[in-house]
Amino acid sequence: MANSAESPISTALIRQVIKDFLQERLQPKLERVKENEVHERERLLKDHQPARWIANAANRVGQIQQVTHALKYTHPDAKGTSLNAPGNPEADELLVGTHTIDEVTADVVGNAAALDVYKFLKLQVGGKTLLDLAIEGNTALQAAFSNDEEQAKSWMAAFADLSKPKGQPASHKFAKQLYWPMEGNGYHLLAPLFPTSLVHHVVSTIREDRFSEEAKAARKAYREREPYPHGFREYPHLAIQNFGGTKPQNISQLNSERYGENYLLAAVPPLWLSEPVRPPLRTESIFDRLFGRRPRVRDLLRILRDFLARVQDVNNVRIRNTRAELIAHLRDEVLLFAAETQENEPGWTLDEMCRLNVDEQCWLDPERAGQDESFAALCTGVDWRDGICRRFANWLNAQLTSTQTPMGELEAREWQSVMEKEINLMRMELDFYD
Amino acid sequence: MTEPTALLLLPRLRVQNANAISGPLSWGFPSPTAFTGFVHALERQFTSVLEKGFAGVGIVCHDFEPQISQPAGKRTQVFRLTRNPVGKDGSTQALVEEGRTHMEVSLVIAVRDYLPARKGREFADDAMTVVHGMRIAGGSILPKREGRRFDAQWWPLEEDLEGQRLLLRKFRRRLLPGFALVERPDRLAERLSELRERQPDACALDALLDLTRLNFDPDMPDPEKPGELRWGIRRKPGWLVPIPVGYAALSPLYAAEEVANSRDDSTPFRFVESLYSLGEWVSPHRLTDLNQLLWYSEADSAKGIYRCINRYSQAMETATTGIA
Repeated sequence: MANSAESPISTALIRQVIKDFLQERLQPKLERVKENEVHERERLLKDHQPARWIANAANRVGQIQQVTHALKYTHPDAKGTSLNAPGNPEADELLVGTHTIDEVTADVVGNAAALDVYKFLKLQVGGKTLLDLAIEGNTALQAAFSNDEEQAKSWMAAFADLSKPKGQPASHKFAKQLYWPMEGNGYHLLAPLFPTSLVHHVVSTIREDRFSEEAKAARKAYREREPYPHGFREYPHLAIQNFGGTKPQNISQLNSERYGENYLLAAVPPLWLSEPVRPPLRTESIFDRLFGRRPRVRDLLRILRDFLARVQDVNNVRIRNTRAELIAHLRDEVLLFAAETQENEPGWTLDEMCRLNVDEQCWLDPERAGQDESFAALCTGVDWRDGICRRFANWLNAQLTSTQTPMGELEAREWQSVMEKEINLMRMELDFYD
Repeated sequence: MTEPTALLLLPRLRVQNANAISGPLSWGFPSPTAFTGFVHALERQFTSVLEKGFAGVGIVCHDFEPQISQPAGKRTQVFRLTRNPVGKDGSTQALVEEGRTHMEVSLVIAVRDYLPARKGREFADDAMTVVHGMRIAGGSILPKREGRRFDAQWWPLEEDLEGQRLLLRKFRRRLLPGFALVERPDRLAERLSELRERQPDACALDALLDLTRLNFDPDMPDPEKPGELRWGIRRKPGWLVPIPVGYAALSPLYAAEEVANSRDDSTPFRFVESLYSLGEWVSPHRLTDLNQLLWYSEADSAKGIYRCINRYSQAMETATTGIA
C-alpha cells in the first residue's frame, strides 16, 4: 500500500532528502576545519557518505529510545525500562492520562550524543518519517539505503526498534515501586513512569497561555479596561520543578526543550494563605467588617453578584439551585469562620477590648460557659441563634442590594423567601452546637 | 461487602515533611492514594482485632504549610530543597527536586467489624498509639498534643438512615475548622460537555485545566450597569483542584521474576502512569451522607486500572432525592 503507484515516496526522493540532511550537517563541520588539515577534511567527507553514515547510525541507534514515559525523571541515575505507550485506553474518559490527548509528542532518552540519529529518522518524505517507513518495511526506503537487500533490511530493523525497550524489563533502586493491595489478598507492584509526552502537552498549553503574544495583548487590554475579542488565563500558585540541573538533555530530549522545567498546577487546600485566627475584638459584630473582608467571602460575593446580574430577568430551577448553592457556600464560610474563632483560648471574650454583642459571644466562645456560670446562664437564656441568623441575613441583603439595581417589590418578596429558607438551614446547623 | 458499623476518628494529626509533589502535573496536598495506603498499613497492624477490616477513609485538612517560596520578580513558586550529603569522593550528589509540606489532618476511618462501645474506645486508643509510629505520605507524625480533642474517637454508627444522618451532623462539627477532600467527576463531565459545544475535540484535560485556573473574560455582565459588559473572572463557586487518584497500566502484568530489580521476587509487577481527576475541598457541613466523605482503593487487573474512588457526587444525588 505504501508503495502504490501514486505514492510520492520514491527511492530517488528519499535519497535526495538524506543527501540534503547530511550536507547540512557536514557544512558547518567543514567550515571549522583549518585549511591545512587535509586528512581531517577527507575524514569528514568520507563519514558523511550516505552508506557509511547510515551504517554508523544503525549501529548507534541502540543507544537511544523513543518514549512517551521515561524513568530518569524519578532520579537521574535510575537505569531501567522506559516505555513508548499511548496510555491505557481502558481508562475512563474522565480520568486524565496519556490516553486523554490525541497528539502525542514523542520524547527520546539515552545517549544525547546519538540524537543526530533521531533527527535523521524524523526526516519527512511524503508526509511520513523515515522511522515510519522503516517500521512498515517500505521497499523504497530499503532501496534508498543500499542495493544490498540484506544489509538494508538489517539497518531498517535496527531503526524500527527505536521505540522498543532495550533488554529485559527492569526497574532500579532509584525508581519508585509501590504495593497496591488487590481484592482478597496479595499485591501488585506498581512502578510509575514519568509521562513526559503528556507533560509536554500541558507545559506547552500553559506556556502558550502565559507568554503568547495573544495572551499578552489580552492582558494589556484587561489592565486598561479596554474591550478585547478574547480573554486570557492565569494559573495561580503554579510551581516549577526542575529536572537534570544544568544538563536537562541528560534526562531526555523533551526535557531539554522544556529547559528542564515542569509546571505543576496547585492542588492546595483552601486554608493555605488564610490569615491566622485572632479574637474579633474592638467590634460589635463580626458581620460589620471582619467577615466580609475574608478573601474567599469577597470572591463568593462577587460571583453571586455577577450571577444575579446575569440572570436578572430569568427564573428557573437551575438558576434557583445555583443561587442556593452560592448562598450555601457563604453559609459554609460563616460556619468556618466561627470554628476558626472558637479555636482561640476559651474565655477570650473576657478581654476588655471585646465589644462583641452577647449573641456572638455565646456563639464564638462556647467553652467559656464551662468555666463561667453566669456566662453559661446567659447563653442558655438568650436565643443567640436567632440573633446570628438575623445578622447574617441583614449582612447578605446589604451586600447584594446595590443602589444601581433597586429591587422591585416582587423581587424583594421572592428574595425574602429565599433568604428565609437559607437562614432556616443555617439555624439547623447552629442547633447542633453542643 | 459489609457496611461500616463505626467510625474511627483520628483527629488533628500533625504531619511534618509530607510529599507535596504527588504527581507529574500538580503540587500541593498529597494524593488520596497516600491516605488509603496509610489506612491499609494501619489495618494490617490490627488483623487480630479486626476480621472484616476498614471500609474507606475520609480526609480532612485543617492546616497546610508547604515548603515553597516565590523568588523575587517571579510569578511561580519553587520548592525549598535540602542539601544532600556529598558522595564518596566528596562531590555533590545530583539534586533531585522534592516538594515537602507540613500539614494537620483528621482521618475518618470506617470500620466494618462490630465492637462493643468499650472495646471500640480501647481499639481507638491503640490505633492512635500505632499511628504515631507510622508515616503519612512520607511525612512523620508529630507527638499527640494534650487535650481531649486530640484523642482518638470511636463513633458507633446508627442503623436507621435518620439516626445516621443525625449522627453525621454531630460528627462533622468535629472536623471544623477544616475542609474535606472529595472527588467531582460530575463537574468535570459537565464542563467537558460545555466545552464540546464549541470545540468538539475537547478532552478531559482541557476541562480539568479550565476548571482549576482563572479565566479572565472581557464579556462578563456588569452588575452595576445592567446590559453592559466588562472584564471579569469566569468562575464557579467551589475550591476545585486537580488530584492524582491512582494509576493506569502501561505494560502487561509481569511475573515477579521477569523484572530485574523489583522490590521483591513474589509480587507481580507492572509499569504504570498517574491518572488525574477533579477534586474539591468542601466544608464538612456539606456532608449529608457518610459515603460522600470516604475514599476507597480499587483495582481492576484486567483493565489495568488501580485507583482511589470517592462517591461524593453520587451520594449527593441520592441525598437530595432522599430529601425531596
